[in-house]
Amino acid sequence: MTFSAVLLLYGLTGLGFIAYLFLGKEALGLPLRILFIACAAFHLLFVLALGRQTGRLPMTTPAQAINMVVLFSSLAFIPMILRRNTAVLGAFFLPVATFALALIAPSVQPGQEIFHGTYRYWYPLHTLSVILGEAFFMVAAIASVVYIVHERIIRKGSIHSASSALPPLALLDSILYASLALGFFAITAGMIFGSLWASTMGLSLSDIAPKVLAGAIMWLVFGLSLHQRFAIGWKGRRTAVITLAGFVLMVLLFIAINLAFPESHGLRLM
Amino acid sequence: MERISCISINHKNAPVAIRERIRIAPQDVITVMGRDSEAYVLNTCNRTEVYWTAIDKEAVLGLLERISGVERASIERVSEYLAGGAAVRHLFMVASGLDSLVIGEPQILGQVKDAYRDALAANTTSTILNKALHQTFRTAKLIRTETSIGAYSISVASEAVELASHIFGDIGNSRVLVIGAGDMASIAAKRLKDRGVKTLFIMNRTHESACNLALELGGTARPFETLASELALSDIVISSTGSERPIITRDMVITAMKLRKNKPVIIIDIAVPRDVDPAAGTCYNCYLYDIDALKSIVDRHFAHREAEAEKAFAIVEAEAVKYGKWLSSLDAQSTIKDLFSLMETYIADQLRCLPLSEAEKSLVEQNLRSSFKRLLHRPVSYLKEHPGITYVENMRRIFQLDEDYNDRHKG
Repeated sequence: MTFSAVLLLYGLTGLGFIAYLFLGKEALGLPLRILFIACAAFHLLFVLALGRQTGRLPMTTPAQAINMVVLFSSLAFIPMILRRNTAVLGAFFLPVATFALALIAPSVQPGQEIFHGTYRYWYPLHTLSVILGEAFFMVAAIASVVYIVHERIIRKGSIHSASSALPPLALLDSILYASLALGFFAITAGMIFGSLWASTMGLSLSDIAPKVLAGAIMWLVFGLSLHQRFAIGWKGRRTAVITLAGFVLMVLLFIAINLAFPESHGLRLM
Repeated sequence: MERISCISINHKNAPVAIRERIRIAPQDVITVMGRDSEAYVLNTCNRTEVYWTAIDKEAVLGLLERISGVERASIERVSEYLAGGAAVRHLFMVASGLDSLVIGEPQILGQVKDAYRDALAANTTSTILNKALHQTFRTAKLIRTETSIGAYSISVASEAVELASHIFGDIGNSRVLVIGAGDMASIAAKRLKDRGVKTLFIMNRTHESACNLALELGGTARPFETLASELALSDIVISSTGSERPIITRDMVITAMKLRKNKPVIIIDIAVPRDVDPAAGTCYNCYLYDIDALKSIVDRHFAHREAEAEKAFAIVEAEAVKYGKWLSSLDAQSTIKDLFSLMETYIADQLRCLPLSEAEKSLVEQNLRSSFKRLLHRPVSYLKEHPGITYVENMRRIFQLDEDYNDRHKG
């Protein structure tokens, strides 16, 4: 399974889901669900092959990290795609996933990784947790976009056939909350594993400061979103806006740090 | 197609004063039916229609006159007589809601089905009308699935329910508060009950009226004084009182939202003057719709429905053509032709499976054709001697000629 084939499958399935959203043809539902599972399965096979080729978890370059975030997000979306009233989320997720995969397509293959430290113990746990957290935040961000769009439609009262297919706000809020909570838990674990790894490597704070700072900002933004939900009952649109802002910030920090500090952490990855 | 005829007395031509008098039961129509005739009667608040085969039009008009007491001339003036394809198309359009006062309304299909059940019980329909009605249900279903004519609610109460389901999903578990016990509040509450709402509270300034409506709908009456506390507990609020001033203020909603930890609430204000301060709609997670907002949504939906109706007419036309083809196949000669086409299909299937040379195949083909012809000789002769519709229909059923009709007549 080549990366181009995976990318093509994501793109085509994405187009199918967009048609499903706008045409509202229930007959498209089953084939699209099968295609979505095929996307995730072939993507997983590609990652496993890549891992076999490199001999380690294939997330040692920024491109591979993005690749893994997309894969984990796809896997997280499967239960939602299988449900009738949330299947349409594929129309929002797949175009983003396809765009991200298309961006990294030239550099996802091994050979460009720069890694100086020990790969065992804390480091794989650190990267895996962080990437898992980022994948959940991606799911939360997609749910946020759909929430904001659907809420706007409801406020205007312009419910039409395409918007009828969107999941109800209460369900979107539950998805948003669940993915935020899981993502926050994974990122927290990732930060702990990262600290343990840094101490075993004897890295000083100056070596890793940009990454730590970026991680701390993300952690705070998503933590704030969860805290406000529990403390003052910020449900719905406000949580969605903060989550979306947090996700955009996460993407910007990822790009900025990998461009400005390619050698931080002793390696070029977040 | 010319076998089916119809007289329709509907909201387009007949005033309610006449419509309410013309009501006809399936049993009534039996009196004018002959041995091979069929009849189907549909009565709704907007129409009375009689469909028949093999009955004289004059006899049907006479029956309508006799039963309703309305003069024959008046009936003829306000009724529409349709025959053949036009009658079939009309039936399809009626069942699909395309001929209704509110285009695309779904209730009519249920009424058409109920009337068909009555017709079956009275034994007034047979082959032609049974098939027409089955095709009618198919067409109505097709229109529902292939067009979005039913996707747009066109009543204020339905729209309120639709909006609530977009927020809460399954509204069955939502707590509903209905303020007021008038007609509008009652209709909205009934719609919510129909959609599976289990927890329904009703309050009114006159507590007794609230109790009566609660009893009627299976809800619970609450004293009007508990409005503020009920507001904090309710997910859906429908207000329709005759109050001159708003009974729900922005401050009340702010307090309620704090108490419910910003859990969304939808407030439908269908009262004039309004019951809810419009500023309450700016509260976080409060979705407030007044009667004008709902009416503007409903008006837009009417326009959508009319656009979708164009697609629906095309479906009706296509289905009417299919029915016409089936009807013409009821002719004995067509059925005999179909029997022979079935025979040719079997022979072709047999030959395809045999690993023989062309010469051998030709020999086998001759033998098979001869055997099949001998086998078909008796039923075909019988059909020629008895070309009545019952025999034709039975023959088609026995040989399942309609099952693969399209496959055998490709191209």
